[in-house]
Amino acid sequence: MDETALIHSAQNGDLDAFNTLILHYQDSVFHTALRVIGDEDLAQDAAQEAFISAFRNISAFRGGSFKAWLMRMVTNACYDEFRRQKRRPTTPLEPDAKQADGEEMESPRWLADPNMTPAERSEADELEHAIQHCLDALPTDFRTVVVLADIQGMDYSEVAAASKVPLGTVKSRIARARLRLRECLRGFEELLPSSFRLQEEGNS
Amino acid sequence: MKKFRDIEQLSAYLDGQLSPSDSARLESRIFADPELDSVLSDLRLARGILRKLPARKAPRNFTLTRKMVGLKPPLPRTFSFFRFSTAFATFLLMLTFAANSILPRMSFGAGAPMVAQEAYGISGCDEPCSPSAMAAATEAPVVPSMELAAAPTETSEDTARVAETPAAKEAGNLSAAQDQSQVQSEAIIPSSWQIGLLIIGLLSAVFMFALRQFAIRKWK
Repeated sequence: MDETALIHSAQNGDLDAFNTLILHYQDSVFHTALRVIGDEDLAQDAAQEAFISAFRNISAFRGGSFKAWLMRMVTNACYDEFRRQKRRPTTPLEPDAKQADGEEMESPRWLADPNMTPAERSEADELEHAIQHCLDALPTDFRTVVVLADIQGMDYSEVAAASKVPLGTVKSRIARARLRLRECLRGFEELLPSSFRLQEEGNS
Repeated sequence: MKKFRDIEQLSAYLDGQLSPSDSARLESRIFADPELDSVLSDLRLARGILRKLPARKAPRNFTLTRKMVGLKPPLPRTFSFFRFSTAFATFLLMLTFAANSILPRMSFGAGAPMVAQEAYGISGCDEPCSPSAMAAATEAPVVPSMELAAAPTETSEDTARVAETPAAKEAGNLSAAQDQSQVQSEAIIPSSWQIGLLIIGLLSAVFMFALRQFAIRKWK
């Protein structure tokens, strides 16, 4: 995929070229929105809004990392979603993931993966819930930078461009977010799969 | 607990965001200080857990349609010219209709009392009275001035009687018809201009429509 040529075509109004870019980036855009917002339906809305906004403003793209530019659109869409939620809080009609007896409902998305054993599914589900819980506990600004840096694997300058904050602020927010996450995950030590207990990434 | 500045440095070090000299300095400190090493392990663990988070695929395609982004077909430059000419010709056409229908009435309305007075022969016009009024005046029966002086109340009745005579009526009708035809013949904007404007407006509109259709077909 010649990204530069596709961007150039999209800047000339070629929607098909832009749709090719969407197909390439939609997984990471959706994943980022999901981790920042923490709700699948809202994350879908935010991702769609981000792509619409990106197409409308693509003439403003002046080179550099297209992924970082796209992530800025996603984070903006997520912030818009937060503001909308604050103005009009909603109550889901579907039952909450956590039932009255405290047992969590089995997530059908893991059941859909045929390559995972039931134990792996359960482990992955627990891990995801624990991490998302800790991410949700972070302030939105911290959550955004840590998602971009650690989940999307972007470097600090890209994160700064995507979140529109200075490099020093990015550095500080990532450090604080990691510390808070570590503290939060300590409370889920039992829930975390054994491979994550007291494991150090450098040793693995 | 270490100072936050140290923690920030450790986090940046973990991501390879420090300069080589800063990295070397920090590494020597980590080697000497087990607490720094412990914090680094914590940060590394947090980052590792986040990185191990399963990547979620998009549950559907987010590709855009033209309707979603409100995209319109790119129109040629001549389109705006034809749009302007259509609008301008229509505006001028309306203006000519307005001018032809309003202005003559205004002048006709101003002259109407004069015409009536002339027709009934009671005007104070001394010199250029219309021939019809003159005829009416001569044909109408002459009322003695003494009677007028003796019975001033009958003056209006006499005048009405004069007006009711067939000759005066005929004279009045003739005068009105003449004025009407004068109004029609004195239209401010000639009808040929109006037809011309109408043709320009219609042609521009047809060209505009054809250009748009062509652009949409080409775009699709």
